[in-house]
Amino acid sequence: MLNEKYKTNKPRKDRQVWYKLDLSANVYPTLQRKNFSSVFRLSCLLKEEVRPDILQEALDRTIHRFPSFHVAIRKGLFWRYLEPNRNPGPFVMPDIINPCMPMPFKSKHQHLIRIYYYDRRIALEIFHSVADGGGGMFFLKTLIAVYLRLLGHEIPDTFGVLDINEPPHREELEDAYLRYASSKIRLPRSQQKAYQVSGTKEQFHTLNIICGVIPTDKILAAAKRYKVSLTEYLNAVLIYSLLEKQKSDGNFRLKPVTLAIPVSLRKYFPSMTLRNFIAMIYPTVDPRYGDYTFEEIVDQVHFYMRYHLNAKYMNASISTNMSATRNLFVRIVPLFIKDFILKRYYMRIGDKQASAGLTNLGPQSVPEEMKEHIERFDVLMGQPFSAKTNCAVISFGNVLTVNFASSIVETDVEMVFFRKLISDGIPVKIESNRNMEVL
Amino acid sequence: MSYCVHCGVELDRTEVSCPLCNTPVNNPNQPIDINGKLPYPTLKGQVDPVKRGDSAILLTVVLLSTAVACGALNLLVFKQGLWSLYIIGLCALLWVFFIPVLIYSRLSIYLTILFDWAAVALYCWIIYYQFPVNHWFLRLAVPIISLLTAFVLIFTFAIRYFKTSILSTAFLVFAEIAGLGVGLEIFIRMFLNQKIHITWSAVVLVCCIIIDGMLFTILKRTRLREEVRRRMHI
Repeated sequence: MLNEKYKTNKPRKDRQVWYKLDLSANVYPTLQRKNFSSVFRLSCLLKEEVRPDILQEALDRTIHRFPSFHVAIRKGLFWRYLEPNRNPGPFVMPDIINPCMPMPFKSKHQHLIRIYYYDRRIALEIFHSVADGGGGMFFLKTLIAVYLRLLGHEIPDTFGVLDINEPPHREELEDAYLRYASSKIRLPRSQQKAYQVSGTKEQFHTLNIICGVIPTDKILAAAKRYKVSLTEYLNAVLIYSLLEKQKSDGNFRLKPVTLAIPVSLRKYFPSMTLRNFIAMIYPTVDPRYGDYTFEEIVDQVHFYMRYHLNAKYMNASISTNMSATRNLFVRIVPLFIKDFILKRYYMRIGDKQASAGLTNLGPQSVPEEMKEHIERFDVLMGQPFSAKTNCAVISFGNVLTVNFASSIVETDVEMVFFRKLISDGIPVKIESNRNMEVL
Repeated sequence: MSYCVHCGVELDRTEVSCPLCNTPVNNPNQPIDINGKLPYPTLKGQVDPVKRGDSAILLTVVLLSTAVACGALNLLVFKQGLWSLYIIGLCALLWVFFIPVLIYSRLSIYLTILFDWAAVALYCWIIYYQFPVNHWFLRLAVPIISLLTAFVLIFTFAIRYFKTSILSTAFLVFAEIAGLGVGLEIFIRMFLNQKIHITWSAVVLVCCIIIDGMLFTILKRTRLREEVRRRMHI
């Protein structure tokens, strides 16, 4: 929640502006550990090589338009909060092979975003307490627009590009959960444990990426053949891959395969917020009922998503989570006790509810003048909390990218996933940062 | 462009093998572009160091200045008795307790616990130095501190090396409370030169045995365990 109206003409008042963490944002710092932070990456591949000096200039101009991104995280007695970061930076850096590194809050300069460049790519990494993918895309598109303008191109402020000369709208900084969580029903918090991918854990500071570059029209045509949406089709393919993996593991006891899917709530509840505004859904296929054909998996996912993806269910989901933070007893419990309980809950229950994560940021639109400079966008869900794989999807024009991020050596899930796409007649180009010697 | 003969996916022209199945690329029409721009950088990132040192310096300065100031006061102003030894000892105790957390996190937890044992023993010795009655330091303080340290070491070992749940942790805690109670009473009786038998600690022991029995049953009966988890989940 915005504590005080943001006034750009009075920079000295910055110290008084602080933000309560929103509902989702409260969870991520709790899970922080030496080798894990909830960091995700959005990147854009341009058609020309990136000039770091111009990019830094663009960043310096853009960051002031996004005060909720220029913050540091602090501990209160009962809750954490965000306050303006007055340290120098953030500074653009050469990209690295192991993105989404942990982001320690007490490290140098304490910024919660990082900007990298490599060849033609500009990458933005965000600590999840600051924003979700939807909010982050506004920042990235605006940054790229400012960068292109500095190179002499005319880019208008439309299609997600915000005007950097305007002060931020109050609604951009709001905690939208507070405004919309009003359902009277409470959903069950936990469900049965899902199948967990087993594999050889990579050493610290390693994040394996496998990126599939796919023509959007081809994959849309394939989804249409199954009479489902693109997201439903990709969810079904991932569940199919995980079921195959479980079968090949030869486990005596089978477990349900469940995906954790973040859903942007902006579609259901109008809000301009740039901060977190997501809810989770968990489509499941339980192999204990018997072997499922791919068509049956598609049906399961399709009907699950059609049943759950509506404003009422989403409201019930966020209201259930909000009820805990609104509870007076929970509020007066000291932060270290909350951290202890929440972390244990997540490790024992929350993390085991899903076999993998899949997010789809959907088709991205940019001003017509920007299109000719951009080849594609990528999104990376970042390091999983436990040894599993995460999948993130985004499309721009006729280029759709599916990025798998995992901290295990084996590539079984990714291999079945992309082979299934190939067998459905979808051409896939693979790029990876994997060091093949370790396999 | 090259394709993986095993997976059917198109590969980047710099790939020497398929990232999915590790099948080597062998395309006579298009050799691998060894000098081409890789799709990902090769530079490896490192996590920024956390500024733990500052907190450690602050703590050391505060404790050291407190100890020195109290020592000077005792020597120059309030000269009755060696009261400053208590404060100096307390500062040393706090420093030993907190400094491993702030400075050297890779120090073995067991070694840290042993250092803590030494610090508590040193503080008790400072008190004993002021009140040297009946050899209580060696006959009472050291055995009790050692017993407590042994239980902490066992607990730490169990938590770190066995897969524990809240219930199994509670089982261990109550078992240790029972052991500690009995040990305490025996050490006190030995110090008082009384006959060694247990009275009040027997009550503690019985209570703990009942609780541990209950926890053991819950742990062993899956249905019961699930019911407890359902009803007591947070």
